[in-house]
This record gives sequence, structure tokens and C-alpha cells, in this order.
Amino acid sequence: MELGIQPDYMKILKLDDEECRRRLEFFELTPDDFQRLTSLRAFAERWTQEITEGLYELLMKHPESRSFFPDEATLARVKRLQNAYFLHLFSGTYDLAYVRDRLRVGSAHERIGMPPKLYLGAYRRYLALIHEKLRNHFKGNETEAVKAIETIRKIIFFDMAIAIDTYIAAYLETMTRHQAAIRELSTPVIKVYDRILLLPIVGTVDTQRANQIMETVLVQVVEQQAKVIIIDIAGVPVVDTKVADHILQTTAAVQLLGAQTVLTGISAAVARTVVQLGVELTRVETRAKLSEGIEVALSIIGKKISSRKNADAESED
Amino acid sequence: MPSGGIPILRIGHTLLATIQLDLHDTVVDAFQSDVLEEMERTGADGLIIDISALESVDSYVARMLSNTGKMAKLMGAETVIVGMRPAVAATLVRMGYFMTGIRTALSLEEGLEIQASRSKDGRRSEIP
Repeated sequence: MELGIQPDYMKILKLDDEECRRRLEFFELTPDDFQRLTSLRAFAERWTQEITEGLYELLMKHPESRSFFPDEATLARVKRLQNAYFLHLFSGTYDLAYVRDRLRVGSAHERIGMPPKLYLGAYRRYLALIHEKLRNHFKGNETEAVKAIETIRKIIFFDMAIAIDTYIAAYLETMTRHQAAIRELSTPVIKVYDRILLLPIVGTVDTQRANQIMETVLVQVVEQQAKVIIIDIAGVPVVDTKVADHILQTTAAVQLLGAQTVLTGISAAVARTVVQLGVELTRVETRAKLSEGIEVALSIIGKKISSRKNADAESED
Repeated sequence: MPSGGIPILRIGHTLLATIQLDLHDTVVDAFQSDVLEEMERTGADGLIIDISALESVDSYVARMLSNTGKMAKLMGAETVIVGMRPAVAATLVRMGYFMTGIRTALSLEEGLEIQASRSKDGRRSEIP
């Protein structure tokens, strides 16, 4: 979760030369189109300012989109970028470097939180503006105008696809990060005493979580050189054969490392179901209450909780 | 003279074998006979196998380790496997190898302690 480091979307989206070629093919961008785009460079240079102004006229008209451009400086900067973007459309080379540049544009929009509806809506206006200019440009030559419009549409849709893919990849990235955070929170290993660890499990245990629990427990036992790990399942609503099996596996693995497991938080209901299901938990040291589990754990490492009655009695005298 | 390439040291009544490389089947067999022969020769009554360098263990190696433990037991020696890595433990359990009957310890130091306390209290071989 380092700040400032952008995920490598090129990698995440598997954008390599081959994928780039496939995309161009799917959008039916041919050398003809590339040539046409190059030949329109003068046109682009002539009209880019006006087209950008038209685009921002729409964006500034609506409060929702306007909020992304809080001051004049920002506005001037994005307009400048927009012009560069537009001219880049007519560069003639549509390779991996082009894709990387488009991806950067897409991720910039995602980063500032511009929703796709505004992005796509603005693009609609952008296309309309370009079409209008092209019609004027090819006045009297309807066929060329239609061809040019089609070419522009291809390359712009090509760009938009990359931007939308970036949006989705960014959302997935965030989700994965959150899931990892939740997973981490769901297996908090607490050091109760020197060489005694406690893992309270709260909530349902599915296979994925069980694996996660096993992994965390084993790593922590070795890292902290724990002799005992207490697993408290008071917060697990249902203990069925599957959950019991997961616990047994973890217990066995802990034993292989040279440590022991104490299972606590076994309620009357859980005790009943476990026996009724025929699950054999006798190989594990079990207790009803966590406090009893701690006592067992202490006795394993050769310690014991004793009352201070004698000491108090002496001081009272 | 050991031929498996895995050094077997004697510390008092305990043999210590440290496995440094991932085991090939041939090395495994040689190791097993080396250990048992060394045990016969020295009359050791304890064996510690340090597997902390092993990043993975397959079913063959797992079976060999637990069999070596059983064989040593027949010769009156207690085996302690020390330093198993978390990933190895997880794999073994998932493969269904619970290695019951073999003692384990977190570190070599603890393995030595177990062996020392055994010889002090006589032949105490139950698993806690």
C-alpha cells in the first residue's frame, strides 16, 4: 500500500506487442488508417485549440465535471494536455509506447476520481466536435470525410478501451488491497505470554480462510518460537465437520513444527454437534473457556498462575 | 564412514544430522542406512534430524523421515525432528502425513534439551 507508487497497468492488463497488435486488429485499424491519420496532422494542428475549447465548454457547464478543474491554472494545464493528446492521435505510430501513453491518460482520470460516465460523455462531445471540423475540412468530398471520420472513430474507441480497462484494473487493484487488509485483520495473532500465542477466530471459516489461518499460525509459531498456540473458536457461529477438519489439520501442522495447540471457546452447543457429527477432537487439548486454555498453555511451558493470598496475608500482619 | 554426504555428528549419547540440501531419493536411502549404522556403532540413544534448511519435502522424504524414526525406536533411540519450516508442515498435513509418533521441536536447541531431559529421567519416551 505504498503511496505514490502506481501499479503497473501494462503488466496487469498484459499489454505487450502481441496484445497491442490484436487490439489494433480488432478495432480494424489498418495501415490505411494510420496513413490517413498522418495526413490529417495539419488539420489537427489547425483545429486542436478550438476542439479543446469546445470540449471544456461542456465540462465547465456542469457542476459535477467542473469540480475537477478548481482553478485557472489547472484548467490551462489540462487544456494543454488535451491538445498534446489530440495531436498524438495523428502521430502515425500506434505501438506499445502509444498504448503506454494512453494508459497513463486513463489512469490519470481514474486517479482524480473522474467517473466513467463523465469521461465517456465528454468523449461523445469530443467526437462530435472533430466530426464537424472534418466535414468542413473535406467540404465537397463526402467520401473522404466519411473515411476520415471512421478512422478517427476507430482510434478514439481504441483509446477509450484502454482507458476503461485501466479503470477496471484500478478498481480491482483497490478491491484486492482491501481484501488483503480484511484477511490480515481476520487472523490477529496475539502474544499472550512469552512463547504463548493466541488466535481468536471470529466469524465463519471457509476453506480460503482456513488456509490463511493455518499459514499465519505456522509462520507466527516459527517466527516467535512459540511453544503453544491457543485457538479460541468462541466467535465461530457454526462448527461443522469441515471447520473441525481444518482445525485438526492446523493442529497437526503446529505439532510438526514442535509446538502445541490448545483449542478453547467450545460451547455446549459446539461440543454436542462435534460429537454428534462423529468428529474426533480428542487429539487436541480442548477447554471451554479461554482462561482455562491459558492455564493449560502456561503449564506446558512450566509456569502456573498462583494466587497472592499468602503474600497478602503476610503483609496484613 | 557415512556415504550419503550428510554429516552425522555425535554429541554425548545423541546423534545430530543436519540436512543441508534438498534430498534426492538416492541420498535419502544412503542417509537412512548411515544414521542407523552410526547408531549401532556408537550406541547412541537419541537422534536429532535438523531439517531447517529444507524448503520442501515430498511424500518419499516424509515417509523416509518417519520410517527412520521408527527404525531408530526399534533400536531404542528417540528421534526428534527440528526446525521444520511452516510451508513444509502445511504441505505434509495436506498430504495426510501427520508423522504421528515422531517428536518435533522448534529449534535445534530445544531438540537437544528434549534429548538431555530424556537421558536425565531415564527412558521417557511418551509424546506430550
